Amino acid sequence: MFDQSVTEWAPWTLLLLAIAGTYLWRGMGTAIAARIDPDSELLQWVACVAYALLAGLIARILVFPVGILEETQLVDRLGATAMGFVLFFIFRRHVGVGTLSAAGIFMALVWARGQGII
Amino acid sequence: MSVFRQGFIDGFSLPAFMVAASMIGYGALVQSAGLSLGLAIVSTLGIWGLPGQVAFIEYMLLGAPVLSMLIAVSMANMRFLPMSLSLVPLFRRSESGWRLRYLWVQVMSVNTWVGLLRKVPELSPDQRGPYYAGFATICMLCGVAGTAAGYMLADTLPFYVTVTMVFINPIYFAFVFAAMRARACMLALVAGAIAGPPLYLISPEWSLPFCGLIAGTIGYGADRFMRRSA
Repeated sequence: MFDQSVTEWAPWTLLLLAIAGTYLWRGMGTAIAARIDPDSELLQWVACVAYALLAGLIARILVFPVGILEETQLVDRLGATAMGFVLFFIFRRHVGVGTLSAAGIFMALVWARGQGII
Repeated sequence: MSVFRQGFIDGFSLPAFMVAASMIGYGALVQSAGLSLGLAIVSTLGIWGLPGQVAFIEYMLLGAPVLSMLIAVSMANMRFLPMSLSLVPLFRRSESGWRLRYLWVQVMSVNTWVGLLRKVPELSPDQRGPYYAGFATICMLCGVAGTAAGYMLADTLPFYVTVTMVFINPIYFAFVFAAMRARACMLALVAGAIAGPPLYLISPEWSLPFCGLIAGTIGYGADRFMRRSA
């Protein structure tokens, strides 16, 4: 039954499963926190898998978006991201500066395309 | 109360602002997917991890198999395992803090986790719970407010604004991760970012877990190799 499409299930049921699937990691971490060495190699590998997965998700969303972002240009998404990174490093890895400048540049590019300017 | 308030006030700057901004994007994303406002808010409080939330909505849009969606959402939030492993021991020397450990991990996000870790040296074990609770409270309030605002404004705002809010989701995390300095993390992040899009082309449904396992192992292995040869 789990190989059915999500469209055949009620959204609230799927959400409860998703919440449970997320809490699994939180609860598991809590349960073994008392026993495991926080500096162990296993834990470091687990962290690497998590970071790689998130980076992969972010890159995928930026390159092959699903939903509303699909209607924007790849060059706008990547160009704004790249400019954000330039400012991010100029401002000594400031997360706020990077995020807001990338978002601002992206908004300007999408607006300009909507106006037929570029 | 005062330590709780201190956490509340400390959270009420960049962390809560970014939570609100990115949840505006998330709210707009849920609205664009045709799902309800209630579902948007409950998913924010319940999943409370933006990559997992985004994966949840995007898998709903893809119409992927249920098992694939569950694994993707769960694995997108897999970082909560190492995060809770490092967060929970901080409450160990406080009876009241330790008792609530299964609640603390539910309200844990990258923001609240970093927020507490930064402050720990200044806090006694018994102060950590109230401080963290205050910090998490303002983040979650802003998260819910952002989700609702994004959902309700999605239709009234012009396209370039709505789409930018959705764009803030991935971009904020890109910078949060880019700000990390641990070599193993950085290697895994770079490997994941490179492997993510091509793996998606091979298998849209299963690319995330594989990306994590393959690129994460490469990142971990490269770091270990460098440690050995150093």
